[in-house]
This record gives sequence, C-alpha cells and structure tokens, in this order.
Amino acid sequence: MPDIELRGVNKIFKGKVIAMEDVNLKIKHGEYVFLLGPSGCGKTTTLRVISGLEQPDNGEVLIDNKDVKDLLPEDRGMGFVFQHFEIFPFMTVWENCIYGLKVRGFSDEVLIEHGERALKTVGLLDYADEYPTVFGNPGLQRLGIARAIATGAKILVMDEPLGSLDPKARLSFRHELRDLVKRLGLTAIQVTHDQDEALAIGDQIIVMRQGRILQYGPPEELYERPTSLFVANFIGEMNFLEGFIYPNVLGNNYLVRLEIRGPKLYASKDHAIFPDFAVDQRVVIAFRFEDVYVYPQNFDFNKPGHERMEEELNFIPANLYSMRFVGKTTRFIAKFASGEMIQATKPGTFPYQLSPGDPIILGIHPHDIITFEHPKDLAYEIDLS
Amino acid sequence: MRQEKNRWTTKLIAVEKELSKPRYRKLTDGIVIGFFIFVIIGPIFNIFSTVVVSYWEIQSNVFNDPLTGDLQWQIMGTVLLRSFWIAGLAVLIDVIIGLPMAILLTRFEFRGKQFLDAMVDLPLAVPTSALGFSVLLFWGSRFGIAGLFGLDVGFFSAGPLLILITHIIFTYPFIVRSLKIVLQETPKVYEDAATTLGAPGLTVFRTITGPLVKEGVIAGIILAFARSLGETGATIIVAGMYETAPIVIVKLRRALELPAAAFLSMILIGICLALLAGIKFFSRRVGFPIKKIWPTGERFLSKPIFRKTRNILAVGIFLAFIFITAMFILTYVFQPQDPPLWAELNGGDLKWAYLWTSLMNSFLIGGITTLIVMVMGVPMAFIIVNRKWKKVNTLLDTLIDIPLAIPSAALGFATFMFWGSPGLDLFFPGFWLIVWVHVAFTSPYMIRPVISIIKKSNKGLEDASRTLGASNLTTFRRITLPIIKNGILAGAIMAFARSLGETGATIVVMGDIRTIPVLIVDWVETQAMGSAALASVIIILFAFVLLLILRYVSRPRRVLNA
Repeated sequence: MPDIELRGVNKIFKGKVIAMEDVNLKIKHGEYVFLLGPSGCGKTTTLRVISGLEQPDNGEVLIDNKDVKDLLPEDRGMGFVFQHFEIFPFMTVWENCIYGLKVRGFSDEVLIEHGERALKTVGLLDYADEYPTVFGNPGLQRLGIARAIATGAKILVMDEPLGSLDPKARLSFRHELRDLVKRLGLTAIQVTHDQDEALAIGDQIIVMRQGRILQYGPPEELYERPTSLFVANFIGEMNFLEGFIYPNVLGNNYLVRLEIRGPKLYASKDHAIFPDFAVDQRVVIAFRFEDVYVYPQNFDFNKPGHERMEEELNFIPANLYSMRFVGKTTRFIAKFASGEMIQATKPGTFPYQLSPGDPIILGIHPHDIITFEHPKDLAYEIDLS
Repeated sequence: MRQEKNRWTTKLIAVEKELSKPRYRKLTDGIVIGFFIFVIIGPIFNIFSTVVVSYWEIQSNVFNDPLTGDLQWQIMGTVLLRSFWIAGLAVLIDVIIGLPMAILLTRFEFRGKQFLDAMVDLPLAVPTSALGFSVLLFWGSRFGIAGLFGLDVGFFSAGPLLILITHIIFTYPFIVRSLKIVLQETPKVYEDAATTLGAPGLTVFRTITGPLVKEGVIAGIILAFARSLGETGATIIVAGMYETAPIVIVKLRRALELPAAAFLSMILIGICLALLAGIKFFSRRVGFPIKKIWPTGERFLSKPIFRKTRNILAVGIFLAFIFITAMFILTYVFQPQDPPLWAELNGGDLKWAYLWTSLMNSFLIGGITTLIVMVMGVPMAFIIVNRKWKKVNTLLDTLIDIPLAIPSAALGFATFMFWGSPGLDLFFPGFWLIVWVHVAFTSPYMIRPVISIIKKSNKGLEDASRTLGASNLTTFRRITLPIIKNGILAGAIMAFARSLGETGATIVVMGDIRTIPVLIVDWVETQAMGSAALASVIIILFAFVLLLILRYVSRPRRVLNA
C-alpha cells in the first residue's frame, strides 16, 4: 500500500522555470526514500509539494490513497526537517520541541509525555530549558528532528538535513538518522545532492534532472544498472567512450570498436540499454573506475589463478599517464594510443613500480560495460550541473 | 591591439593616494560629523537653552499673562492632547487596515501585485498640503462624494474628523511601507517550519512572525506616529478652527510670540525624542505577543475563506477610501468651476506669476538641498558603517534618525531660532534658511538607504581592490561607488521629494518666499480653489515621476555572491 503517491504532477515557477514535469512516484509505508539530483533539478520542489508548502499546477498528490489537494500544509501531519534548521530563536529548546503539539491543542500531559520522549530520542533532554544558541549545527538539527517527530508524524520529510553539517559530523549523523527512522517505523523522504549519503542509508533512490524523474530504484540497482547516461555519470564514477558496433559477435556480447582501427571491446548484451543495436550503429560504452584492472606490461597471466582472466577480460594496451595514492585507493589515469583517457581506481596501494609513460595493460570485464545509444550531444547528457 | 588612455587617471590616482592618508580621513570625519551636529543638534539644543534663558518671559506670557492668565498654557495643553489622540487613532486604524495589505504584498503571489504595490506608494508622493486639499474637496465639499448624493455641502465640515481622515491617509503608506520592509526581511522559512508542525496561519503569524518582526514594527509605528504628530501642511487646510500643536507653533511664529513658540516646540521635540529613545532601547523588551494558543478558535479563523476575505477587504478599503481620496484632486481640476480656472489665474493678483516663481523656488530649494545632503550624507553613511567607535557609532546612528521623529514645524522653528535673528543671526528668513531647514529634515532620507546598501554590499570586493594596489579613495571611486550608486540615487530622490512636499518647516522660516505646498495653503485659505488644485496637480504629477524613477532604481536585482 503506497503511503505517498504523486500522479502526473507539474509545477512551473513564474511561468518559465520548470521545477516538476509529469512527476509520478509511489513511496511505500516504512521506506526511506532519497530524492537525488543536481541543484535546481526540482527535488526540493517535489518535497514542498508533498508537504503542501507548494501547490502543484496540476496532477494529484495522494497520502494514504486520499487526494490531499484541499488539505492545508498544517493539517497534513508531516514532520519537516530543514537544511538550515529553522529553530525558532526566541523560544527555548523545550518550547521549540512542543510547538507542534501546542498549536494542535493537546493537553499538558500529552505535551510533556511526547515532548520528553522526542527530546530523549535525540539525546537533548538535558538541554530542555536552554535557548537553542547553546548548540552547534548538529545539536540544532537534532532539535529540528525532535521538533518534527514530537507531533507524532508518521512521515518525515527532510530537505538536505545534513547539508549544513561538516563532513565528519555528516558521516556519523546519517547512520544515526537511519536508525531513528527505522526504530520509530517512519516513512522518510530526504532530499540530498550527496550521492554517498543516498547510497549509504536509502532504501530507494529517486534521481531527478530538470524536473523529471530519471530513475527510481534501490541503491544497488541504480549503481549496477543505470538506465541513462546521466544517472550513470551522477552515481559513482564512470568512464565514457564513444564507438560503434562491429560485426564479429562472440557469445552474447556486442563487439564495440572505439574508432576506425582503434581498440575493440566486448560488451555484454545483458547490460546494454537496448539489446539489439545494429552493426555500425554509434554507441557510448560506460564502465566504472573500480571495474578497470591495471597490469604492468610484463604481467604473467599463466601464473596459477590467473588463467581464467585471460579468457574473460577485454585487454587493451595503454600508457600510464599518472598514478596517485589518494588514501584508501590508488587512482590511475591511462592514455590509449588514440588519445582517449581512462581512469581506474584500485583499493590500497599498487604492488608494482610504474612511472608516467610506462606501457600498461587495462583489463575490463564485458559484464561491467554498459552500452548506451549514442545521444545527439554526449557532453550535455552527462552534464552534472 | 588593446589601448588604454590613462594619462590623467595616473595623476588622479596619485592625488587619491595622497588624500587616502589617515590625517585627511580624520579631517573629513570631523567636518562631516561637525556639520550634522550643527545642523541637527544645534537648533534642538538651542531651543532648550532658549526656553531656560527666557524662562521669565515665558512665565509671564504663557502662565501669567496680565490679561489672559494661563490661557496660553491651557490652549497648549489642549492642542497637545488633540495632536496625540489624532496621531494615535490614525496610526491605530492604519495598522489595522495596513497590516493585511503589507502581508498581502509580501506573502502572497498574484497577478498585478507590482501594480498594487506601486499604487500603495502613490500617496507617499503627494505633498501633504495637496493631500489635505484633496481630502477637503472629496469629503468636505459639494464637488466630492457629497455631489454623488446630490448634496449641496460636503459630508463633513473642516474639523477633527477631516483631520483624522487626512492623517489616516497620509500615514497609511508609511505604515504599509515599514511593515512591508520588516516582513520582507524576515525569512519565510520560519513560518514554513511552523506550518509543517501543524500551526494554522493565524497562530503562525502570532507566535512566529510576531516576535520576529516586533522591533521593526514598533519602530515603524512610532515613526509614523511622530510624523502624524508633527504634520502641518495638510492639517492647516482641513483643520478649520480646530488647531493642533504644530499649527499653534506656526500661528505663534506668525504673531512673533517667539518665547511661547519656543516653549511649545520644546515640548513637542522633547516628547518625540523620548519616543525615539523608546524605539532604540525598549522595543526589544516588549512582551508582546501572548504565548498562549487557542487551537480551535485560531484554526477556525485561519480557514482559507477568512484569509480571502481579509485580502479582499485590505484591497477594498485601500482603493475605496485611501486611494480615491488621495487622488481625487486629479479629477477636480477638470470639473467646471466658478470662477473659471483660467479667469482666476489671469486675474489682477497675477496668480500665474506666483505659481511660476513658487514652482521655481520649490525646484531650486529641492535641488540645492539634495546636493548638500548628498555631499555630506554619503560620507556620513560610511562613517556610521565603517568606523569602529562602538558607542559613538550608535549615537551617530540615532542622531540621523532625530529629524525623522520630530515634527518638522518644530524643527523649522528651532532652526530659525538658531540661525536666524534671535540666535546666530547668520540667515534671514527666506531662501537660504529654507534650504538649511530642508537639509536638516531630509538628511535621514539620504543617509538611510546608503547605509543599508553599504551594509548589504560585498566587503570582499573592496578588499580585492586594496590587495591589487588601489588606495582607499581609488577603491571608493572605482569599486564602491558603482555598487552603491543606486542607493545614493534612491536617497537623493527621496530627499528631493520630501523637500518638494514639505509645508510645516517651510512656513516658519520662509519670510516672503513661497514654495508650492505653502502656496496651496495660501490659496485654499483665500478660497482660490481652482488655482490651488492646479498647483497641487502640477506638483503631484512631478512627484509621481520621481516615485516611478525611485521604484525603478531601487528594484531588486541579482547580485554576485551576495
């Protein structure tokens, strides 16, 4: 049973800025859903439409299968968490926390019970009578969350709740946030432009661009099988190469030639966006940095344990352009003879001594290559701004 | 090839470098601050000392006159009280009808919003004496609303009710404007937060918006109250025999009863200074609004139907009452009159010639005044924002607000006592004394917008210019000036418009020079209605043009990394 549903929602600002274009989505009860996309893609507008702070131009918003068009934002019963906290500066922590209960006219006992429980959940009960100025950013956001859940809201709507925290605090806070949402059994929708955050704690991720939903699915699916060049580029790190389909076919693979007389690669048909590209059709192949194997030129593939590799991988000779250890991983940039650059990352440090200009061999598994139809304007399709 | 012509700029930059040295800065700081102390504080201080010095004269005139006893004092008490309740009532009514309008203009999006916004500002451009005249014609004569009902006389005769109507109309744009500015500067996100927590509109306004805008609203209300208290031009026209405090000052001045006039001016100035001090120090501590919440009642009153009704009422009252009354004068000129307008203007007393010289006087006085406040006011704005003198800055900041708060007639009279024959004896009543008074009361209109734009502007740009090797003054000319020029222009237009529309301060220092607002008062008093209306229309149309330019230069625009 979907908790929240949007049907064909459109929203245009000032008659020209398209914030939402035919947005359809269903969010199930108890799911932690992320809205992900570059700034200005319409994710915050989607959030505001769901919470009633904006009215859609047309289309329906359903909560618990009921159209909420005529339901004012204050009556929708959603907890909203803001990027800049919006803690009322002239009220104490306690007054902030119980504001939502107070304006609904609950009795004093309910106020105290729910308010204390909410503050306890986020660990701020000891600060109840202070003014919020005692807190740093994480504390303010804890209060923001307490204030939102104190009303007993079943749906938590969060607009970049971790956006104003510094990177370290953000890392630990996000797991805290997921624990809290799951413990209270809430349905949560969170806007972010930090893909790591979405991948790390989301049940479902919605990727938006220019007011449209591009893809909607669990993190693994978005990572493994992006359906568009934009999502492929937006989530994780990918190499994109232009080429065309070559006639020779081995097994269930395409053979893609990068350019006339250039290197040829096998790409799995299972992972192509269209399974039936014609010979000579222009395509774009994409593969992740971490799926590229890097070998020195004199690597012995006949050593025990390495034999199968030779059958399965595409091997392409290249020259090393640069190699840097960046903490946790080593990052390679390699250059094909034809001039194209390929990036690769390997965990830890690299066991072989190499210097820029050295010949190397790159190995890529056909299953790791996604074949896309060649778009009119590749640079535009993968533009993240 | 790129070419740069920089022969004389090199010299200019060298001069600027020399003048940027600290000792010159101290010199200009001294001159600028000294100027404003002389122009604003001097007269006020002087009026207090005059009262002390000529205490016995006042005693015998006001409290112990051989013929009338303390009649003077009784009159003063009555008119002060009157001025107070009229200003109080007018401001109260304006807040009630103006607050919904301010909310409508800041928190709602609808078609024609810009247009409505401009219409609300329009009465601001109408000089008060023309406004008073318009009210008199509309409500108090057979040409106005009474004519529609076929009556031979106006609805109300000149007196307290007409004064109240005039004051409501004339303070309305001030109230709406100041409420609008505070509401605009208050981020809407707090309201959103409260809404998502389940608070209905009315509760949000009362518990969230209220505390956030409290200080600004109180300041705006007190300033509007002070302006209403000191209003002269419009009041003279609609007052009939009913006198308010500023009118009595004008009368005493005309009758040359200087000590008594000084005494009344002092009381008015004292009260207004106390109000100003109140804004600065106490508005923060007002315990409004009440924290208690009445969920059912407020939820009921927040229903969309009430919101809609409130919006419609706000616009309706504004259009039907304020806008039509203020603009009525524009239609009056085209109504047939007896004697015909042309005959009246070409009559034996040369009204044409008077109209023309007064118009020129108004423009000349406005122009010179604006020039002076611009040259002295811009450096003053920088001193207030940039110097780190702590207490002194706050003091200077309050100093430039003083002319906003005190009645212009009282300020005018104080200036006359200081610079004119009773005091330093530097200026005779006439052209230059008028300019001097106008400089005093227009200076805040010049300095305030400049201060706010300096505060908003990006300091980093100036730092960048300094690190690239430009001296202080070169940075000012090449970087700061282009950024703040719209603020300066806005301030200059406001100062010019205020100077153009001022009556009270001009009357007490004018000698035999006439400006248009004073001419309107004169002609209404001598029943030359057609000519007065024509003079009003000319000055109103001119003020409209100024207002349009003002709206154009101060329209919001995109700023890089603001």
